Amino acid sequence: MQADEVEPAPGSAWFTGAAAWFVPGLGHVLVKKWGRALLMGGAVWICFFVGLAMGGHLFDLSSSDGSWVLLQVPPMIANLGTGALYIVSWLLDHGFADDPAQAARATYEYGNTFLLIAGLLNYLTMLDAFDIAAGRKP
Amino acid sequence: MTLFAALASVVFGAMAKDTNHERWLYGLKVFAEFMVIGLVLSWILYFIP
Repeated sequence: MQADEVEPAPGSAWFTGAAAWFVPGLGHVLVKKWGRALLMGGAVWICFFVGLAMGGHLFDLSSSDGSWVLLQVPPMIANLGTGALYIVSWLLDHGFADDPAQAARATYEYGNTFLLIAGLLNYLTMLDAFDIAAGRKP
Repeated sequence: MTLFAALASVVFGAMAKDTNHERWLYGLKVFAEFMVIGLVLSWILYFIP
């Protein structure tokens, strides 16, 4: 018995997926799914900015407290899911500081969680946009 | 927690199922699950020193 053959995705689907990762919601705009773009992209944007407003911390490979750098990789991958939002924050050095006063805020951990979830939700959004562009989903 | 549950359930609901009616139901179900599980865990952890 042979497994069902999967039709390869067209290049436009990969482009849509990349755009969806880079700018949350853009992938669905490209495939003209306006409602989904607003809901899913909007959720990611709100999650990210609420996380920053709560004083959340964005992760990168630097580790100022001497902890093992590899421990930074999983949360950094989650944060990277927000695409341009993460990159712009990194370029502006906003949200990456290891500031004890910031960490002492009551909302610090909530903010971290919102920032991590923003990235993970955008990975889901990206896969959804890719599937739509590849014709695997209506 | 409510905001988090709402945002996550919006994404889960939007990408799941086939019809808008099913999506609404699924989103509401996920939202309710987040809230109930969050509250139950909170009370359990409250009694753990």
